[in-house]
Amino acid sequence: MAVGKIELVPIKTRILTDKDDIVEIIESYGRDIVGKNDIVSVAESVVAITQGRIVRPEELQPCFLAKVLSRFVPQKGSLASYYGMQAAMDAEGKWRVFFAMVVGMLAKLVGISGVFYRLAGKQAALIDDVTGTMPPFDKHIVYGPQDPDGVAEQIKARLGCYGAAVADVNDLKRAAILGTSTGLDPQQLSRILIDNPFGNASQMTPIVVIKNYAMAERAVQG
Amino acid sequence: MELLVSFFIFICALVLIIGMFIIYQGNEKVCFLVQDRTTFKLEQLTADKAVFSCLIPFTNRTGQDGTVMDAFPRHLLPQEQFDEVEVKSTLTLADNPREDGYWEALILLGNTSSLAILTVTLTAKNGNISTTIQRMVDMPIEIYYQVVGRTNWHINKDRIVMSYQEIMAALDKGVNVQRQEAI
Repeated sequence: MAVGKIELVPIKTRILTDKDDIVEIIESYGRDIVGKNDIVSVAESVVAITQGRIVRPEELQPCFLAKVLSRFVPQKGSLASYYGMQAAMDAEGKWRVFFAMVVGMLAKLVGISGVFYRLAGKQAALIDDVTGTMPPFDKHIVYGPQDPDGVAEQIKARLGCYGAAVADVNDLKRAAILGTSTGLDPQQLSRILIDNPFGNASQMTPIVVIKNYAMAERAVQG
Repeated sequence: MELLVSFFIFICALVLIIGMFIIYQGNEKVCFLVQDRTTFKLEQLTADKAVFSCLIPFTNRTGQDGTVMDAFPRHLLPQEQFDEVEVKSTLTLADNPREDGYWEALILLGNTSSLAILTVTLTAKNGNISTTIQRMVDMPIEIYYQVVGRTNWHINKDRIVMSYQEIMAALDKGVNVQRQEAI
């Protein structure tokens, strides 16, 4: 696709909380910007926050297994603390995470990486430990969003745009598309969002409109 | 039976290895180095208010990262001892200062240090800080900080004393600087 014809427009919002409805917020801030040829992408952590998928470490009671397994996660990882690991166990199941850890370790011994996160479930990979988001959620563990495909469909239906996506993008050239409305190519969107147009503090510009996506797609196809 | 004994020995060895790994890995050791703080200096002087600040280094003494989830000062000036000023104290990062008294959680990497700014505002209840401060007393300030690393989160506390002599010295020095700047 000719990415050059596409324009990325970040939309600044106020700080969003679990009192907000992400679809209403996008409609409120993006009504005059989003057109029928555009795709609306929204940062996954903000979707999760508006869904109330946050917890303070003080509210968790880490089990023995969480305390032991967290020791085997490199310290830069969100599951390296008792609380991050407990959050993953609460979301995906204690024994699933344990099984994934054992298999992941064995796989690493033979040079295969990433097995733990593939087996432990989506939430294990999506959890952000404290400091992962802006104040006032810097002291919270933030889970991944629930039903990102459904959220994307709701955004598309409400805004009347070409499509919508929920994305997990960072400054390390990593862009994962967690959910899309029907018919969108996640890999294509990932390439478009790779430079993190959400900015470093994605909570202030949690929405990025990919302008003219449909036109560019039609031009490529025909 | 032999198989059972072998299995038991294997489990014991595994537990021992994991235990030794955890001990070897260790945990963060974040602490505020209150003994290495700078002396207070006068930041602002108005008719009713004097604002002082000092820098307090904090460090992580091990190779394990520590997250400073929260940090705040608690000044101790009971009315029985001195009832002529209202005190406000805040703590913020020196390289990312905030004015709202909110401590933004940060990861302090292993074997690294950083600096916090402690700001103390004394407001005279009678509206005249210049005379009121002459009767000020030594004021302890406790620094509370909540840290999480490889173990349970915990709250530590360290203590400094903002002494009368230090307040007077900072005031004199600050006033002299203000005079020279005015000239």
